[in-house]
Amino acid sequence: MTGSLHIGLAALGSAIGVGIIGMKAAEATGRNPGAAGAIRNQAIIFAALAEGVVFFAIFLAK
Amino acid sequence: MRRFRPDAKAQVSLRAVSSEVKNVFKAILAAALLALLPAVLSAAEALPGSAAKAVEHGAKDAHAAAAHHGLPAAAPVFNLGPLQFTSSTVITWIVALGLIIFAQMATRNIQMVPSGLQNFAEWLVEGMYDFFTEILGKELVKKTFWFFCTLFIFILFTNWIGLIPGVGSIGWGEPDKSSSLPFAVGHLSQPILRGGNADLNMTLAMSLTFFFLWTVWSLQALGPGGIAKHLFSGGDNGKGFMAIFMMGIFFFVGIIEVISIAFRPVSLSFRLYGNIFAGENILESMMVLIPWLGWLLPLPFYFLELLVGLVQALVFALLTSVFTALMCAHHDEGHGEDHGHGEHKHAH
Repeated sequence: MTGSLHIGLAALGSAIGVGIIGMKAAEATGRNPGAAGAIRNQAIIFAALAEGVVFFAIFLAK
Repeated sequence: MRRFRPDAKAQVSLRAVSSEVKNVFKAILAAALLALLPAVLSAAEALPGSAAKAVEHGAKDAHAAAAHHGLPAAAPVFNLGPLQFTSSTVITWIVALGLIIFAQMATRNIQMVPSGLQNFAEWLVEGMYDFFTEILGKELVKKTFWFFCTLFIFILFTNWIGLIPGVGSIGWGEPDKSSSLPFAVGHLSQPILRGGNADLNMTLAMSLTFFFLWTVWSLQALGPGGIAKHLFSGGDNGKGFMAIFMMGIFFFVGIIEVISIAFRPVSLSFRLYGNIFAGENILESMMVLIPWLGWLLPLPFYFLELLVGLVQALVFALLTSVFTALMCAHHDEGHGEDHGHGEHKHAH
């Protein structure tokens, strides 16, 4: 088996991160539907930041 | 649900709306400018030793070795002196041209009560204006709205036009002898059109444009001394020995902040490029994964890519506006929320 383990690990970590962000955003919207817009913005920002880790792992590998 | 704010409603009154629509045209011109930039950048990259090109080609070579059916590299369409125009550049022109024509048609005959194209344009611009007002505050959004709205619309339609069948899959290559179809190519090497944001030059051009504008806006809002104070000073330092100690701490925090800011254009461009490039590759791989199921397998991924195209356009516009707000907006009075910048201190 060949491949880059670290990219897989980075993808795993950021996938868990994005999942947690989505879960908490859905919970927060359920608690306070009035703040849905602000929560969505923050969730997108932080999901993008969590996701960015993979691209560093891919492009800065080797 | 949007919070009700009477003053925000008053701002988007009927009289203001027509000028908003006129602003679309200005925004579209900026899109054309953005479309020209990658050509200049790729000319600069023709010089040896360019890091971005090495990274992109490294990624493509790695992928080409792993699977033969990946997205082909951007093929040069024509050269104009030292400038090289590739198939990815051409598609950004098509998008920019389409947006210019749309803006012209929507604003040719402006009515007090909008309908048709003008209605759509007003809905889009008003929606974006409210959206960015929440992030940037009322003062800053007036100055910077043209850029963020242009970015969003331009990236969105560049992403979506790349999904049209034929873009990235029609072009020149080695003839496929085994296929019974005429003009079938086995390995496509020179596509006529190719997804614009699947080229690192394009995303890098946009993030560097943002970085330049961000510097200008920060200098206008804070001045050089203000920027240094914003970065390296944490406010009240206390007294005596603690003051010196805290100054040292805040100085190192400021250095970390500077590094994080310097990485923003890199992460912005890699995020958009990586998502779109990976998406195009997924679609191409799914078509050849199981030969007799090639017509069905890409379908769910097409819907995924429609969503990714929207989300990534939103993320790019949102992140750039948040970066701007972090530096410039905390002096704004009256936008209600404290944008505590410590919360986003290490965001990059």
